[in-house]
Amino acid sequence: MSRRSVTFGFGFLAALAVGWFAFPRALYVQRAQPLEFRHKTHAGKSGVTQCSDCHALREDGEFAGIPRMDTCAACHTDRIGTSEPEATLVDNYIKKGQETPWLVYSRQPANVWFSHAIHMRRAGLKCAECHGTYGESDQPRAYQVNRISGYSRDIWGRSISRFRRAPHEGMKMSDCEDCHRKRSIEVGCLGCHQ
Amino acid sequence: MKLTRRDLLTLGGGVTTGLLFTPVPWKLLDDTSIWTQNWPWIPQPARGPVEVKNSFCALCPNGCGMRVRLAAGWPVGVSGMPHHPVNQGALCPLGFGAHQLNWHPRRLRQVRHHGRASSWTEALGAFRKACAAGPVAIIDGYPGRAASSLFQSFSRRHGSYGVTLCAEERALGPYETWSGVPATALGYDLENTATIVSFGAPLLDGWSAPGRFTRLWSERSAGVTNPQLRLIQVEASQSRTAACAWRWVSIAPGSEAALAAGLARALHEEHRASENVPMPPTTLAEAATRSGLSEDAIRELARTMVARGPVLAIAAAPEPAVAALNIVLGAVGARGGIVRRRQHAESYASADSVKGPFRAVLIDSSVPGEFALRTDAEVFRFAAWEDPAVHADWWLPAPGFLEEPSDIPAAPASSIETYALAVALASPPPEVRSAAQFLAQVNPSLASVEKVIHERCQQLFAARTGHLHREQSTAVANLKSAEALEKEFRSGAVWMGDPPRTGGVRCQLREWPAQQAMDAPHAATWTGGWIPAVLPPLATKLYQESSLREPPARSEI
Repeated sequence: MSRRSVTFGFGFLAALAVGWFAFPRALYVQRAQPLEFRHKTHAGKSGVTQCSDCHALREDGEFAGIPRMDTCAACHTDRIGTSEPEATLVDNYIKKGQETPWLVYSRQPANVWFSHAIHMRRAGLKCAECHGTYGESDQPRAYQVNRISGYSRDIWGRSISRFRRAPHEGMKMSDCEDCHRKRSIEVGCLGCHQ
Repeated sequence: MKLTRRDLLTLGGGVTTGLLFTPVPWKLLDDTSIWTQNWPWIPQPARGPVEVKNSFCALCPNGCGMRVRLAAGWPVGVSGMPHHPVNQGALCPLGFGAHQLNWHPRRLRQVRHHGRASSWTEALGAFRKACAAGPVAIIDGYPGRAASSLFQSFSRRHGSYGVTLCAEERALGPYETWSGVPATALGYDLENTATIVSFGAPLLDGWSAPGRFTRLWSERSAGVTNPQLRLIQVEASQSRTAACAWRWVSIAPGSEAALAAGLARALHEEHRASENVPMPPTTLAEAATRSGLSEDAIRELARTMVARGPVLAIAAAPEPAVAALNIVLGAVGARGGIVRRRQHAESYASADSVKGPFRAVLIDSSVPGEFALRTDAEVFRFAAWEDPAVHADWWLPAPGFLEEPSDIPAAPASSIETYALAVALASPPPEVRSAAQFLAQVNPSLASVEKVIHERCQQLFAARTGHLHREQSTAVANLKSAEALEKEFRSGAVWMGDPPRTGGVRCQLREWPAQQAMDAPHAATWTGGWIPAVLPPLATKLYQESSLREPPARSEI
């Protein structure tokens, strides 16, 4: 093998290694959620059976998003148990009347308008079809933020190549368009960017 | 082993080729494009609780009902109010993007005097000095509001008051001349009309309140060969309205008056005209020559018009011949024609007819940007957005979209009286003041806008007529107090008066009016009625997409 082929091959393989392994690690930085919230514990102990029990739609169809602190305060006025997250919740947020600054995995850019009501009520989509089975998890997932765009890794999807993704992975515009096309639903700019 | 230049180039080639087989270039391209959307100088709506509130658009006198989406208390989206009796959920492209206007680069944020930064103290001093030295004129572009009554009160002591009427109201001018009923009290009873002959009026392109006619057209006319509502568009070019009309009659530019006279003569000759209406001096041959239609085509058009009544002719601008044609058709004061929606209405002096000499002219922010008064007086112009093409000695920053409370009188050319309150949903920049606030500083005895609105609510309650419209309709007589009525208004209710009575307007016409050239008909489109020369990005996008509307039985390239 000639010296030129070896040099070229070395550069080629090094680039592949950097691009597939080092680059994703360098691109995303991990941030901790302010609280260690456990969906599974709440579902088991509090009798919460549906996502909509906490992540409800308001009367006007607007999605309420993450429950506000007064919802948590209904049960956690005083500490339940002795865990550190419980102490943080009660002392740092509920008693001070402050909202928890959750890092939202699926937060979209400000120029995107998305109606949960239309997708849930009219299209009959289940929460897990877009959000996965996070509601059954016992630990908060790592929140990874893109250093350049500033958005969560969930928007692009866990797979850096976007190949072999699970159906719920990825919330980019192209993912919305693909889903609409599969269901033969109109795709127009002003549907989401109004 | 020595590393040569050739080795480095080969290594670089290998790295470059290798990177093309990784996600790096594509992911960096994607992330960089998103990064450019988030540069610090690009306005970003605040994150916070999302809520939807009702209000009304005061950008033009049509006062359409709106549902405004707020994030963290800031308007971030606008849609039509479905229960509004006039616009019925529809908005013009400008209304849909109006929340973006407050962030426009031309937003006026400080007092300017002859191009230099100044202050409210200096502006007030200059205006007080002008008031002391001689009469002043106040020009209002949206008469009938609480603020307008304050302008009138001030003018009674210090000078004159004039208004700039929108194109739809100006087109009603001939009826005011002949009947004595102010144009602001007249309207078109479109809901009960079967055939509309539009002489260049852009009925489907933002004429009057945008939802009113488009809703009627879509329900009774769109895509039907023999529609319940026939729209005949008489226009030189194939406008958007002409493209969607049941019939488009292409005529020579500027020949609307000649054709109206020709149609009136054809109706006279076939004994289809109302009695006691003079015969136009224009012969059919003359009308045919001027309009470019044949005599037979004019006769056929006249027969088609009256084949299904009631018939109503609408002009884009004040055109006495079209108004006279309505008298011939018996459409004035009749169901489905020109009706009187209000018994007691004020007749306003046109801003163009306000005569000096004045020491100063104060122009309210509701006056269209294109309005210019030929005067040597010192001009104090209120505006939320600066227009460099417009002359003013003083530019005074006014509240922008939904930054001040205002009452919303009935839309021009509406057949039914309405009243509503546009609550302020956005905080104005600190340097902003309305013309009413400015005048109250000059003359502290003037009442506030809020006080006048409160009095008007009490008057409406005392009259106990009409209905309040929200999701459900309630008779005003069923409300317990004036405070309850005002509370309903502040949450987005619209008061709607009783339906107009026919016969409330009679026009005396002794001879056929002399022909005159019509104003440019495009003045009544949604862009023509718009006050400053700025547009939100969403409006331009929407308007571009609106050209994709498919007219019935016709394709448009």
